[in-house]
Amino acid sequence: MVVRRTLALADARRVFRLSVALTAGLLVAAGCGGDGEGGEAEPEQEVESQEGSGEKEDIELEFWTFVDNHADFLNAQAEQFNEENDQYNITLNATTIEFAEMHDKLLVALQSGTGAPDLVDIEIGRFATFTRGEIPLHPLDDVVDPYRDELVQERLAPYEVGGVPYGIDYHLGAYVMYYNKDIMDEAGVDVDAIETWDDYIEAGKQVVANTDAVMATVETAGPFSIRGPMLQNDGGIYDENNELIMDNSENVEAVEMVASMVHEHGIATVAPGGDHHQPAFFESFNNGESASLWMPQWYMTRFRDQMPDTEGKILVRPLPAFEPGGTVSTMGGGTGTAITNQIDESKLEAVKEFLGYAKLTYDAQVRLWTELGFDPFRNDVYEDPALSEADPWFNNETVMANLQPMFDRLAPEYTGPRYPEASTALIEIVAYEVLEEGADAQETLTRATEQVRSLD
Amino acid sequence: METITMGNTATKDRVRTPFFHHPYVVAAVFLLPFLIVFGVFRIWAVANAVVMSFQEMEGIGVARWTGFDNYVRLLSDATFITALKNTAFYTAGTLLILIPLPLVLAAVLRSSLVARASAFRSTIFLPVLTSLVVVGVVFSLLLATNGLLNSFLGLFGVPPLRWLEARNLAVPAMIIMAVWRWTGINVIYFTTGLANIPRDMYESAAVDGAGAIRKFWNISVPLSKPIILFVTVLTIFGGMQLFVEPFILWGTGGGPGQGGLSVVVYLYRTAFTSFQLGYASAIGVVLALIIVTLSLVVLKVFGFFKRD
Repeated sequence: MVVRRTLALADARRVFRLSVALTAGLLVAAGCGGDGEGGEAEPEQEVESQEGSGEKEDIELEFWTFVDNHADFLNAQAEQFNEENDQYNITLNATTIEFAEMHDKLLVALQSGTGAPDLVDIEIGRFATFTRGEIPLHPLDDVVDPYRDELVQERLAPYEVGGVPYGIDYHLGAYVMYYNKDIMDEAGVDVDAIETWDDYIEAGKQVVANTDAVMATVETAGPFSIRGPMLQNDGGIYDENNELIMDNSENVEAVEMVASMVHEHGIATVAPGGDHHQPAFFESFNNGESASLWMPQWYMTRFRDQMPDTEGKILVRPLPAFEPGGTVSTMGGGTGTAITNQIDESKLEAVKEFLGYAKLTYDAQVRLWTELGFDPFRNDVYEDPALSEADPWFNNETVMANLQPMFDRLAPEYTGPRYPEASTALIEIVAYEVLEEGADAQETLTRATEQVRSLD
Repeated sequence: METITMGNTATKDRVRTPFFHHPYVVAAVFLLPFLIVFGVFRIWAVANAVVMSFQEMEGIGVARWTGFDNYVRLLSDATFITALKNTAFYTAGTLLILIPLPLVLAAVLRSSLVARASAFRSTIFLPVLTSLVVVGVVFSLLLATNGLLNSFLGLFGVPPLRWLEARNLAVPAMIIMAVWRWTGINVIYFTTGLANIPRDMYESAAVDGAGAIRKFWNISVPLSKPIILFVTVLTIFGGMQLFVEPFILWGTGGGPGQGGLSVVVYLYRTAFTSFQLGYASAIGVVLALIIVTLSLVVLKVFGFFKRD
């Protein structure tokens, strides 16, 4: 008995010690694994939901974005969709991840073939990263086609490869000129008489002569001040044939025109802080230190949110044209919502139906304005009462309805395989060196383009 | 019964030591998780990066051997040269400030000149613990053209400097931030080093008429050599691996006119924007070689390889 009990005790002790050692080992392993060595944690696994009405098919979708507002918008659209659709019940698991981190995680997930969400927002500047070689996104022809006739076609171009759309944007992003009416009145300038960039420069001289403000500010740490005029002048980074054209003569002319405002005519300065999203710039524009700036339509929200003293003073107008009758706008910025190829095939039909509903229907496009403050890219919604309201912040004008006549004078933007790198070079080499340091536009554009070409 | 009595003897006990009680086995069990993680995420990853640097990656797992092409391309890559210059400038700047300043501060805090030295040490150490997001926000305000630093410099008649907007001030801006962040930890290192110097050496020097500066220069500095060496090598590591600072100051990581672009930021862009993993690996390998070379030079200069 004694022998057996002693052996049993010894065994129990041995088992106990072994378990302690293994548990400790596992804990250490878990600790080591959890310190971020292996990259970020995987997004939560999808759990098949059994909720919802009996007849409708429950579809749970993983959605990544880097903008909270986009998540809120699509969640609201999903609720609306579920009310109206009798076939599917969509549950959108939206996750907002920081801009760079989200795109990096997505790239790794798509390249490695696992871990990607079903639906994802890809920023226009990063979109081409995902469309090189074999495209890990689903073509969206059948999503877009039913709505195509109503859409501003130019907005599809940045997300198309070989004419096939892979992403759907949240806005048109039409470039406009924002004028501070008080300063323009003080300078004796009628903004509606400004038709060309030459007129704009002459008006700028009047502003500088008669007020304490400069006519404009330009970005040296952002792309908008030069990319808009480049596109407007039939230039841009890529053409419709996917050719890199960043150093063509139209682009040189556009960049030289912007540079002349700073270095030759003295009517523009570098935006305080380097771009039009810096607190220093908001403060200066709010204080009336500059009279105008050209940015896309979505910048309207910045006046309300960041520049409270501009209330009632801002006039929204088309861009001046390079030649009388030329294009008076183009597009800036954007985010394409895409469906990844890692989505379960059984969900594909539902997600396509949802995406079309959430982004391209008449009501969805109206809500892009009412919920997000963005300019829709469906022509017919501009007559909707919601877009025809006078806006007290913007001199009581019907700003959105006024935009539509520009749409047939809108320069398109095309992207291509090295669009992300070219965008960066455009900011860091061209905008900075030309606008800040007075470097030669032709030389810097050529150098930047060569650098981008040398990648392949 | 006999077994029990025999089992109590030391000899038998050793013979019957269970497998998992053996010290080597226990050590292995406890070390294994670390070794596995280290092996997979460090050794295997680094070895793989070296292999990849001789390849052109076409997606994950699809590679084409290109020999030394990636390295040859590096030699004529203007962006890499810019990034290398910025990184070298930053490393030199941090070395010039983050070694002498904390050493002097540590000596002052150890002297009788300062009451409540530990409170000062804690204060100086606080930035090390501050979240990077907070650091980014604070320094964006501090270094803004109409920010606090320029207001302070204005008191001495210095015109406002565009710290975050001008290419030639990008690296100095990052050095200012590095000094704020890392002075505290270096003070702790140097304090530890100074604490190991026997008090009686200072007392003897005082008897011989040496003043505070002479004692610092002739006793504290030479006897802190091992710590200075340690901090120098750490500062070189930190400087050459510059990555977070440009991102939190400028968002894009490049800074004005690529003035803040570091080698690691360029590596990151090459890997994640251009998805050229082979070329990015070559950048990493070259950076590692530069760091190793610099460290060896420093060790040599400090006489680390000399036999005592």
